[in-house]
Amino acid sequence: MKKIIFSLLLSFTVFVALFAATSKAGEIKIGAIFDLTGGLNIYGIQQSRALNLAVAAINKSGGVLGKELKVVEQDSQSELSKYTLYANTLILRDRIVALFAGLTSSSREAIRPIIRKNKIPYFYSSLYEGGACDKYTFVTGASASQQLSVLIEWGIREYGPNIYIMAPDYNFGTISGQWVKRYADKYGGKVVGEDYLPLTVTDYSSTIQKIQSAKPDFVVALPVGANQTGFLEQFAAAGLKDRIGIVSTNYGSGNQQVVVSPAAGDGIIASQEYFMWVKERKNPAFKRQWKAKYGLKEPIVSEAADVWNAVHLWAAAVEKAGTTDEKEVIAALESGLSFEGPNGMVLMQPGSHHLKQNIYIVRGNKKHTFDVVKTYKSVAPAYEDEVCDLIAAPNTAKHFTP
Amino acid sequence: MANKTLSRQQNFWLAPVAVTLVVALLSFFIEEYFAYVATSWLIFGLLGLSLSLMWGRAGLLSLGQTAFYGLGGYAGSIAAINFSHLTGNTLIWALPAGAAAGFVSAALIGGIIFYGRMGPLQATILTYVFTLLLWSVAVSFTTEIGTAVIGGDNGLANIPSLKLAFSKDAADLQVKEIFLVVLFISLAVYLALRYFVSSPFGIIIDCIRLDSVKTEFLGYDVRFRLLAFFSVSGSVAGIAGALFSLWANYLNPSVFSVQEALLVPVYVLVGGLGSLTGAFLGSFAVGGLSFWLGGGVAGGQTTLIIGICLIVTVLFFKKGLHGGAGVLLSYFKKKKESINRTAKVTDLAFGEKSLDFLTGHFLDVSPLTLATSAVTKTFGGVRPVNRVSESFLPGKVRCLIGPNGAGKSTFLRCLVGSHKIDSGKITLGEKNISRMESYARVQSGVGIKMQVSQVFSEKTVLENLWVAAYSKTGNMKAALSTAKGMLAALKMEQRRHVLAGNLSHGEKQWLDIGMVLCLRPAVILLDEPAAGMTDEEAKSLSSLMRFLAKQLTVIIVDHNMDFVRSLDADVIVLHQGEIFARGDMQQLAKNEKVLDIYLGRRKNVRNI
Amino acid sequence: MSSVAILLIATLGLAVIFGLMGVINLAHGEFITFGAYAALLASGWGLPFPLAVGFATVSMALYGVLVERLIIRHLYNRIFDTLLATWGLSLVMYQAVVLTFGSVTPGIGMSPANLSVGDYSVSWYILFLILVAVFLILLTGLILTRTNYGMMARAAIQDSTMASAVGIESGRINTMTFALGSGLAGFAGAILLPAFPATPSMGFAFSIKAFLLVVVGGPVTLTGIVSSGGALGTIASVVANTWTTVLGDIVFLMATMLLLRIFPKGISENWRIKL
Repeated sequence: MKKIIFSLLLSFTVFVALFAATSKAGEIKIGAIFDLTGGLNIYGIQQSRALNLAVAAINKSGGVLGKELKVVEQDSQSELSKYTLYANTLILRDRIVALFAGLTSSSREAIRPIIRKNKIPYFYSSLYEGGACDKYTFVTGASASQQLSVLIEWGIREYGPNIYIMAPDYNFGTISGQWVKRYADKYGGKVVGEDYLPLTVTDYSSTIQKIQSAKPDFVVALPVGANQTGFLEQFAAAGLKDRIGIVSTNYGSGNQQVVVSPAAGDGIIASQEYFMWVKERKNPAFKRQWKAKYGLKEPIVSEAADVWNAVHLWAAAVEKAGTTDEKEVIAALESGLSFEGPNGMVLMQPGSHHLKQNIYIVRGNKKHTFDVVKTYKSVAPAYEDEVCDLIAAPNTAKHFTP
Repeated sequence: MANKTLSRQQNFWLAPVAVTLVVALLSFFIEEYFAYVATSWLIFGLLGLSLSLMWGRAGLLSLGQTAFYGLGGYAGSIAAINFSHLTGNTLIWALPAGAAAGFVSAALIGGIIFYGRMGPLQATILTYVFTLLLWSVAVSFTTEIGTAVIGGDNGLANIPSLKLAFSKDAADLQVKEIFLVVLFISLAVYLALRYFVSSPFGIIIDCIRLDSVKTEFLGYDVRFRLLAFFSVSGSVAGIAGALFSLWANYLNPSVFSVQEALLVPVYVLVGGLGSLTGAFLGSFAVGGLSFWLGGGVAGGQTTLIIGICLIVTVLFFKKGLHGGAGVLLSYFKKKKESINRTAKVTDLAFGEKSLDFLTGHFLDVSPLTLATSAVTKTFGGVRPVNRVSESFLPGKVRCLIGPNGAGKSTFLRCLVGSHKIDSGKITLGEKNISRMESYARVQSGVGIKMQVSQVFSEKTVLENLWVAAYSKTGNMKAALSTAKGMLAALKMEQRRHVLAGNLSHGEKQWLDIGMVLCLRPAVILLDEPAAGMTDEEAKSLSSLMRFLAKQLTVIIVDHNMDFVRSLDADVIVLHQGEIFARGDMQQLAKNEKVLDIYLGRRKNVRNI
Repeated sequence: MSSVAILLIATLGLAVIFGLMGVINLAHGEFITFGAYAALLASGWGLPFPLAVGFATVSMALYGVLVERLIIRHLYNRIFDTLLATWGLSLVMYQAVVLTFGSVTPGIGMSPANLSVGDYSVSWYILFLILVAVFLILLTGLILTRTNYGMMARAAIQDSTMASAVGIESGRINTMTFALGSGLAGFAGAILLPAFPATPSMGFAFSIKAFLLVVVGGPVTLTGIVSSGGALGTIASVVANTWTTVLGDIVFLMATMLLLRIFPKGISENWRIKL
């Protein structure tokens, strides 16, 4: 019995001592939760770097409202329950005024109830399947419909009308699949087959066989995670690349073009809101700052640009509102705020809290990089604008699905 | 009941309650965020507790606890979303639904494991597969149940928070209030489980872990008890899941992920396997470490450090933090010496007085005939038991002898049901027991003592006897008086609190026999009971058996001819799975054929 | 066919360690990853691919010796402790890969040579992997039956007291077994590298199914996993081809549960062949 009391009390005292809070006046605290370790750190590390880079840039030019920005950062360790834990910690302990966090849709959904309860603007910076609609949530990545509207049109014109879908078997994949079908109808194409794959699949021979019997003109491939890049290798090795095109909305977002061999990566089409190689006015400066601080051994991914834009949009909104009070900041964000980022001008849509931004179509080459094929200027998040109007219905808190 | 027979400590609730009150008091002084974080550790502690119960007590490492936890979470939140507007209070919907979901799913998996009599590793893997299966299904599973929207990997959102008040506009509890509620729920669950494991049911579960075969030979339905225990453990996990969903207001299939599944045994192991408190220590330690590291300490090398800590814990802290704290404390207080280890038994068991006790003990046991007709057992091409027909009645001891490989032990195993017979029939009195499981045969009146003594090593002598007696009586007090009587008859009173594992070889044999007698069987089967006994002891055993045979059916397998002779028994000679000869020892000693098979002479055995 | 072959290549190392030592190595997936990166490193130095595979195999075998001496050795007969310790090891190894190589590294890729039959074409390399699997299983079989080490290892697992009585030193045998198993895992990572680009988490996907195969396969190492792998792999890929890959996975898991229900100690429990 004494043993139990002793050890419990001991551990409790240790913890209380460890987690005594500290706070300083004269600075504005913002929170960040990204996956710095674990399976998703391909994205998380770059998101965190972009955030710190953006904050450093803002502080260098005088901070926000004359105060310095301070980042309180937590590593969610690619574990979903950690998002809930840390979001609350940052809010309760550090009294942050804005939160930048998350990569997967599930991480965003885990955070949303918390920021709603505590009324804190939250920025989600990753491409995703679209449809999130919440007064306190702002999305700076591209949505699936935004990317696919231009990609499918381009693909049908380039390759032909018959489409095969290879996508991961969860929300991102299945909802993207529905968008592919919708845009195929719209632009005179046809989906001739689809295969939704678990994230743990490593052997794609059955998928490749099915693609061959469906005889599509091009495949919409949305490989997620490390294993699914194996699909691209196996597709190329089966000799299908000469006959069938591959287009993707997420290839490159985790630097997959580096991982796949030159032979397999050459000619793959991707569409996203940012690539390191896009020719925009502010891109060279962005890359220069990045290189100076982190080097360019790994190419910068689109999520990094999304975070960069998110921080700057928030800072602009605070400046405009003249306060960090959440009502005023959200009002400012809903006032048609825009910012020129490394991917050109981005515009926060007042009703849907999504960005109107450029979508680039690029082609993979033999040097593990991309060549820009076409730039679609200022593509609107059409679906989100259509279903989600947070000005008219500010109490909406929903995840719309087509 | 003042003695320690049932290891039930009357005051076991004092310390946990005291700790809880101190922690509750402390919670008023800590930061709000810390109360929030600590709440999650409590919830993981509960989850760990559910595994600690199963792994530490019943010996099964289940990797399915997160599955029960997740299912409990989903069920609990679906119930809370749909019905809590009726009451305001969310707990009364979420907790029962969570517990029920955990209970049912664990019962399902447990049924496959225990009724399939799976090996421990296979059972672990099966639970792991179950978790993986749920994950594969859940990530793309979307549906709506009432107003709850299950959105595949995007999860189940809009789960209401913890509310206690019963009114339509009940407010969400504050962070610290949530902590207190979860703290007291944890305490309640913990105390309930402590009570549960020290109940007769819990003691039998302990025995199953120590020796499941022996427990079944004592007439306990091992499979059913494990299943029930597993289901309880599942419902604890389900409660933890329901609490988690109310705490996080969000649930997603990641609760079924491999990482989560493996984290639970880590809590238990770090805290100390086998102690229910350890689960909470472990979850606080691991949770605290990973929380601390997640704040950017150590350059963000969270997984690296957790991995190293894990290896170090396994290698160097065999008993986890709980055990470690014990070592630390032992510096402060003198270690209690183990008692009675040197006491020696001088008296032989079962003198006149002992036999008096037995007469009373077996007073209302009516004699039963055990009969076999054409019983056959085949392994591959070998047929160790071949069409054996025989009736065994009380009156004289019956002995089975025969050279090695004659099928004696296999025949005995067929009688108790460890082997299922291929054809033929076994009857006990009027009852056909051919297809019965072992425990059911024991309940019908068969007692068995195998060749190697089977005692529950971590239980005391008295507890061993009590467990046996309880199987027959089902009444704690009656079982205790039977056990004490048997203890006296065995002349082992001085050794009553010695752990059975610390007994000498011969003592274990006697204890085992005593346990069989506690069952009050009408038929007693013994496999080489005199092996390893001194001559004196064998003599005493022989007289005991002759005494018992007056009223009970006693069947002994042996090849110690002196011992068999001393039993004055009716002997059956088995050879190559068949009954070869019958008679008493004098007759058999003159039987040329029997001498042939014992001496390996060929003349008369060629035609068999 | 090819999926079964790939599954078997990835499983063999684990099966050897489990079958001959009774140890489940939860870090098996990361051993495969290490093998892949070792091959990648070697080909980065300009070694031709076959030599790079050899380098990966040998260096992983040496690494296996190290792990066995430092960790596994102290946990004999504590199967669940080993499970947790090797899981800790897998976390450490995963993070070590991320730290050394970063999260993305350029891959090597397969030769685009392929075999066309009518409208269908299959990569030669994938077909080649079937041959590799057959060869690997035969080779392991030979090592276990024809070498001194193999006979002693099999004796040690079947009757350890007898084995030590005739002077077999189980410590050394176990070290060699673990080295053989991790060498095989390294080989698997390297030989699969062209088809499965090296990423820190590549091994994980293989390891889950590998565990299931080994446990379903039961105590008889080689024939056990060949039959469990053959059965489960074939069922899963037939379902995946006819319906969807997800269903294939689900059926794989269901079949695993079913097989465990029918053969509670693994399908090879009562086999006479002990190889």
